[in-house]
Amino acid sequence: MTKRSKRWYYLLLLVTVRLANAQHAPDRIIDALENRTVDSVQHRVVYEQRLYRNPMTAMRAISRSSIANAGTTLVPLVQGVPIAQYRLSPAFSTRLLTRQDRIAYADAVPFSRRAYKLDFRLQPEFTANFGNRDRSVQSKTNILLQSQVYIRRGLVLNWGIVFPIVNDLDNQALNVRPAPIFLNQFLAINRADFMSISAGLFYTDRYGLNVQYRHADLNSPWSYGLETSLTGFYFFPKDGFYYQSPTDLMLLADLAYRIGRHNVTLKVSGGQYLFNDRGGRIDFIRQFPNVEVGFFATKTGNGSTAGFNFAIPIPPGRIAQTQRVRLRSTEEFRWEYNYSRGYNIGSRYKVGYQLDALLRQYHNSYLKSQQY
Amino acid sequence: MLVLMATEFGTQSRLLTVYQFTYRPMILFVRLVYSVLTQVFSRLCLLGMLSAIASGTSLFGQVNISGKPGLLYVPTATLLADGTFHAGYSYNPVNYAFRFNPALNPKLTTRNSESIFFVNLVMLPRLELNINLLRPNGPVQYGARGIGDRQIDVKYGVMTETTRRPSVALILSIPFGIDNSLVTNAVVATKHVSLSSVIELELTAGYASPYFLERSDTRNDQNSTLFSGFVFQDKRDKAAYYLAGPIAGIKASLSRKGGLMAEWDSQHLNLGGYVTLFNHWTVQAGVLNFDQLTVGTSYAFSLLPTKQTARHDKAQ
Repeated sequence: MTKRSKRWYYLLLLVTVRLANAQHAPDRIIDALENRTVDSVQHRVVYEQRLYRNPMTAMRAISRSSIANAGTTLVPLVQGVPIAQYRLSPAFSTRLLTRQDRIAYADAVPFSRRAYKLDFRLQPEFTANFGNRDRSVQSKTNILLQSQVYIRRGLVLNWGIVFPIVNDLDNQALNVRPAPIFLNQFLAINRADFMSISAGLFYTDRYGLNVQYRHADLNSPWSYGLETSLTGFYFFPKDGFYYQSPTDLMLLADLAYRIGRHNVTLKVSGGQYLFNDRGGRIDFIRQFPNVEVGFFATKTGNGSTAGFNFAIPIPPGRIAQTQRVRLRSTEEFRWEYNYSRGYNIGSRYKVGYQLDALLRQYHNSYLKSQQY
Repeated sequence: MLVLMATEFGTQSRLLTVYQFTYRPMILFVRLVYSVLTQVFSRLCLLGMLSAIASGTSLFGQVNISGKPGLLYVPTATLLADGTFHAGYSYNPVNYAFRFNPALNPKLTTRNSESIFFVNLVMLPRLELNINLLRPNGPVQYGARGIGDRQIDVKYGVMTETTRRPSVALILSIPFGIDNSLVTNAVVATKHVSLSSVIELELTAGYASPYFLERSDTRNDQNSTLFSGFVFQDKRDKAAYYLAGPIAGIKASLSRKGGLMAEWDSQHLNLGGYVTLFNHWTVQAGVLNFDQLTVGTSYAFSLLPTKQTARHDKAQ
């Protein structure tokens, strides 16, 4: 190697080192936050929170960076909608946002699609039956490449592509097909009332309209919610689209209570599940910083069952990104196991997010317990 | 906390770039490896894993055949820190099969050794949940095939350990199962005694009930009502059984990184040893009744950052 080329080689090495350095937390985390507004007059940082399951990851990074000082307040956004205002020091506190606060923010920072990256995430999907004598695990395993288009404040179009890997569960072919495509509107009505309205093709072969409402005072242990939907069956055969009429009504209500110190939520829910199955369910949910683990028991007209569920982030997080486009692994993989399968016991389908699961991640006591 | 450490390392390696025009290949190479490694490490930390390495304490113990803190077959009352998660595998030899032996179940035609897969999580500071799955090794007849025997066990720490008294725990198998092969209904007490700064004894004694409930009359394909069909059973009605009567065990550990153990599982005397590698990975082996070998391995980590674990434990 000549001296000159050696020099270039080392320079290249240095650039790599610099790039690697630049990606260190917390700067790396802050760089990745979208729709970020730093209000130096009111000492407030507003940012979109969509990369991490745990909102504390971004909060901690901001509070340790140069853009924040001791009194800075943080306002995380979900689909461009502010959740609440948090202060990390001197003591962690949560202030609910009034309707006036929300209007003032919306006026000050008009919604801009340009504030968001074209974000692609890889989401695994695993549905399985256990216990068949010939094949003890019958699974339908897919990788979904998903993306979101931010249309206006709160309104997002979810879309993507399904890459099937295994299917010995049903007779659907392994054809590459569209992933669930649906519109979702997230609304914060006032201090503690939130709504999520979804319409389109959802997960687990259901399509239609889903409306969720939740009263969740993020400083109070109590919360309650309502969910209703009218859906039908659909699927993508090898060529074409098959669907049945959307006549299946689901109507559920729930009441949840948090036992603050260990981030445990007890939730009682009931009503009419899919396929006119009426009954109730009890959930015990523990929120760990990055993982959620729960146990539940269900009793309905179709039978009774119990099981566990968990929600975990899938490593490695960000895979590649440019100024406008980003590819990452999903921030949340959620899975539930039923001990006795029976026949459609309290069954339901999955929309993008459940309002109760989303909001409990922003509860004052959950975030406060992670401060140290 | 490792997250903190990682960020500190990050600043250090950035400071090092002051020497960026000194063209020393070694330094550059080390720097590159270093920054890539710290990046990888900090990512892992975001997942809440590996957090105990930095703390230097071994929070995680060794587990018994079904994945509960314990010896070989015998569970102990050792209470793990809040948020501790174990996952692992153990091998149970053919002469001591829990299920796959025609003497235990006349419908079977083969004798098999067994594989047990387990996860164990400290859901709350005194409450542990254990999920295990028992499968036969090798071929079995058609009617005995399936995913395996699924079982959920709960352990509650009735009393925590102090310098004067042992910890006491109640362990119960949830009776929802149709075939609960590893039924553990027991009360155990465990006391740790330090013989020197590195050698520690763990003494366990307890009683395991031979009685249990299961839904053994339910068929798997008609399993749609979980809260009915319970049948009262006595382990001693079977040709072979374990954990039915007084149980006891002793474990001598060297800095909790490895040790030897002996236990009475109410039927047999078993001897074994274990090693914990990299603070998280435990490998163990034992001889059952001076006859056959059992082996197992488990990996443990905490779902809580260390400082938080410490605070939660204080709040107990």
